[in-house]
Amino acid sequence: MKETVLETYGLTKYYGGTLALDHMDLKIPRGCICGFVGRNAAGKTTAIKLMLGLLKPTDGSAKLLGCDSQNLTPAIRQRIGYVTEGHRLFRWMSIANLEKFQRAFFPKQWDDSFFAEMIEYFELPKNKKIKHLSNGQRAQVSLALALAPNPELLVMDDPTLGLDAAIRRQFLEGMIQLIMQQGRTVFFSSHILGDVERVSDRIVVIDKGVIRADCSLEQFREAVKKVKLSFSDCPPARLDIEGLLYCRRSEKELELILIGTDDEKIKQWADSAAAIKYSIVKMNLEDQFIEFTAPPNHKKLFQWEKN
Amino acid sequence: MRFLALLKKEFRECLPWLLIAAIAFLVLGGLALRLMIQSGSTFSYPYRLPPGSAISTFRLTVHSPLITTGVWLFFISIVLGLALGIRQFFLPHFSRTWGFTIHRSINKLTILCAKLFVAAIAFIISLGIVWMVIYWYASLPEILPFPPEPRLFMEGWILIAMGFTVYLGTALAGLNKARWYTTKVFPLAFVLVIIVTTVSQWKLSTAFAVMLIGSLILLSQIIHTFLNREF
Repeated sequence: MKETVLETYGLTKYYGGTLALDHMDLKIPRGCICGFVGRNAAGKTTAIKLMLGLLKPTDGSAKLLGCDSQNLTPAIRQRIGYVTEGHRLFRWMSIANLEKFQRAFFPKQWDDSFFAEMIEYFELPKNKKIKHLSNGQRAQVSLALALAPNPELLVMDDPTLGLDAAIRRQFLEGMIQLIMQQGRTVFFSSHILGDVERVSDRIVVIDKGVIRADCSLEQFREAVKKVKLSFSDCPPARLDIEGLLYCRRSEKELELILIGTDDEKIKQWADSAAAIKYSIVKMNLEDQFIEFTAPPNHKKLFQWEKN
Repeated sequence: MRFLALLKKEFRECLPWLLIAAIAFLVLGGLALRLMIQSGSTFSYPYRLPPGSAISTFRLTVHSPLITTGVWLFFISIVLGLALGIRQFFLPHFSRTWGFTIHRSINKLTILCAKLFVAAIAFIISLGIVWMVIYWYASLPEILPFPPEPRLFMEGWILIAMGFTVYLGTALAGLNKARWYTTKVFPLAFVLVIIVTTVSQWKLSTAFAVMLIGSLILLSQIIHTFLNREF
């Protein structure tokens, strides 16, 4: 069995009376590339900050590389790379200054040639100050700074937020460079499902502070299904189908979101409910995520959506 | 090496304020001294002796230049304290760089020590050295007919220490995550009490003791808050 590098037990966080994270249990094995996805304000940043000991949990605990997150020693922190949300770096420093600053904290691990390669790959001007870099360039510097010390565990908080598609791709390719090194674990939050699909082998879905899914990407892709059923008359009131997450009704149609229900069972239920037609709608990961985390009767954004 | 990297970073961040304070004090203090030497005015300085002495009080005649310079020293020292406190403890919050700063292979207390150490050095370099230069200049035999009182020199250092106390208060206010603004700036109200109490002391040693005790209280709170706060 693979060693666990990141684990949380009932991790809970309240901000005053607001629940931000609700009893999060998670175990990330070594070598895993885990995409931590959720909508805005789902609790992703809170969870990451709790894991890194930057916030204090209301209840529960987290362990990184076997060390309690509230007491991470300098030696343990040295083995963890962290890319902050929004790539917040010291604005007055140039890339060269930042490299020097960061290198001082990793005297034995820092890989000069790797850092230089990444800076060259991203075509970053080394003497330019952070405040004069674009959002995308700051993200690239952030990644290079986090990767150059060769971290065993890389934790990234929404690293591709605000980047255009080309920069995002370049950023992810930089990340893949790390992934290719054996034994490296990456835990990154995102709300861009395409990014998660591209690099992750595991997906953790968080919604309103609660972990809703924790499985391999393939399992998630297979599990979340949307089924459309048409009826000659009113659809049945009672929906006793296994794995039903929620349904949307119209006059003669039903739209079901199902979790883990196999196709044969869907067919059997459609027959028993006297549906005249049924179809399993193909969805990409983003659609699946939206359906999975959407409230059952989500409000219309605009009045004209009624029609 | 790690502590040195932190010191360099903190020093570089404080450097503009340090230079502004040093230049401002040198220019304003020096100018005040020069103008007053030219006008030749004096200042009658009240001096109180310990209880039981044959004479309870007397008035010491000194040249007002150093008093005028002291006013500038007091003002610049307080502004420097506020500026450094805001730079080191408010700005990382607004620029959201605490996460990047704290996630280092070094313990939190060392990060805090680097900040406090650099601020103390900034006060010594920018105001302390300039004050020493001004006092030394005023003490030259050909400058003033009465040599400046050594007490004035020590009072200058107490004014510089007041600025450092203001810095500690601002630091604590910056670290304080209190929801209410009045609670957040409470450390500055405490600093005001320290300053008023210090200024009202006649004995330099008592004034110094008040300042020291107040600063130690603030320092203990800063350490406690920094080690336990969320970033």
